[in-house]
Amino acid sequence: MERNGGNGVSPEEVNPAHIVNVTDFSANTLRNIIAHIEVSTEFEHLVYREAELDAVWSITGFVLVNERDSGRREAVRRLHAGVHTAHDLVAASRTVDAAALLRSLL
Amino acid sequence: MLASEENELLTRTDAGTPAGNYFRRFWLPVLLPSEVPTPDCPPVRVRLMGEDLIAFRDTNGQVGLLDEACPHRRASLFWGRNEECGLRCVYHGWKFDVNGTCVDMANEPAEYRFENKVRTAAYPTREYGGLIWAYLGPPEHQPELPKLEWARVPDSHRYISKRWQETNYLQAIEGGIDSSHSNFLHASLDAFRVTDSYIEKVKNSNNLRAKYHVMDRAPWFTVKKTDYGLIIAVRRKAEEDNYYWRLTQFLLPSHTIIPYQKGLSIHGHCWVPRDDHGCWVWTVSWNPDAPLSGEDWEMIRDETFVHAKVDPATFKPVRNKENQYMIDREQQRTANMTGIHGFASQDQAIQESMGPIVDRTRERLGTSDTAIIAMRRLLLQDIKGLLESREPFTARHGDVYWVRSASLLLRRDVEFDEGARELMKAEV
Repeated sequence: MERNGGNGVSPEEVNPAHIVNVTDFSANTLRNIIAHIEVSTEFEHLVYREAELDAVWSITGFVLVNERDSGRREAVRRLHAGVHTAHDLVAASRTVDAAALLRSLL
Repeated sequence: MLASEENELLTRTDAGTPAGNYFRRFWLPVLLPSEVPTPDCPPVRVRLMGEDLIAFRDTNGQVGLLDEACPHRRASLFWGRNEECGLRCVYHGWKFDVNGTCVDMANEPAEYRFENKVRTAAYPTREYGGLIWAYLGPPEHQPELPKLEWARVPDSHRYISKRWQETNYLQAIEGGIDSSHSNFLHASLDAFRVTDSYIEKVKNSNNLRAKYHVMDRAPWFTVKKTDYGLIIAVRRKAEEDNYYWRLTQFLLPSHTIIPYQKGLSIHGHCWVPRDDHGCWVWTVSWNPDAPLSGEDWEMIRDETFVHAKVDPATFKPVRNKENQYMIDREQQRTANMTGIHGFASQDQAIQESMGPIVDRTRERLGTSDTAIIAMRRLLLQDIKGLLESREPFTARHGDVYWVRSASLLLRRDVEFDEGARELMKAEV
């Protein structure tokens, strides 16, 4: 049960039974999560994806509290809101829609 | 995070609510036999999922569970007389048997009596596994009793306690399946700080939890969906070639079995909604192979682990919110994380501090919360399924509850479900 790195992952390393290591909300982390969402089908996979998006939402939420730069704050706020929606889409098993939404936020 | 609508869906269990209808599809523990100890003993109040009920043991020893309000003028049957195979309302003498049938309308002239047309709400009960269970759902969907191993061992192998927790049931279950909090909430200061003296004390322990829990405080969570609910598998690093696995069983709608190491006793819980702001915590300790040991009884008496002393009339814990769980700040400063005695009271204190119903829209979850996320999704799936007329599988298949948890070391190349397969089979 290994975790995948947060700096991008090759297609061979995408395993929906693995939890993506979420320590930031970088484009690489989001691409990693998207790649895993696209191959997630089972109940357990969707739970892991939901947990990963929860982690991204949490981190963006913490940043929003402290970010003073208005431009950056707006960008993080968009991502924060988008991840919330993607999270709910994954919870509803709408993985295609979730992946598309996250891709639009990159 | 959880959307507000989903939080409402999960947490409201009154009659007619989706989660209320779901819970009512299962047999639920409702009374200790000691609450209605003898035929014709006094009736007792029982509050379940927002319903105020009265339980009584009739002359034949059967337990009735009726609506508290007499259908005549809504007087409370708590004041009733338990006599000659029925409970008689003391206001006008109407009497009801355990099935809710009115068997006497003492105040009406004979020619005006219509007792054969009068019923009060009554729920079937069963005595099973040292408890009294009730089914509050539609008669045509009455399920099987769950084949829980603890319900099948002899009385001498089992101890059950009941307490009232002033929170919604859901955050109580979440506490029960969240293994990572035990490294903090239940830790001694030595364990939390991983002192040399603590390492020395546990390094040769036969108790795997004592030995490995402190070594890795950021465990890996994974879950596996099963017929009965979930296996929540938590992995910690052990020796170089091993992992220490703790496998908790979550069984729908609200049972858990704490990870069990062969040779020790097993513990588990069931949380039953009292109403939206309170739940009954049923805690069981059992040994499948032998009567409970002296050490087990000491842990129960001293409240060091999962049981807590309660007021026998109300089941409110002795350590409670009003007395701040009898916190000892000096002990918190010098000995353990909380200054509160016993795992049960520590859990209750922290869960009650979250409010009667947690506002889950304001959570900040991470990947270590995987078990909680999985449990919520599973419950939501079942609750929404029932809204679409899909009856819960687990309720109708009592045999799927016949499992154990596990606490074990496995080689790092062994998957937990394979490596623990034999250990997780119940035997009694």
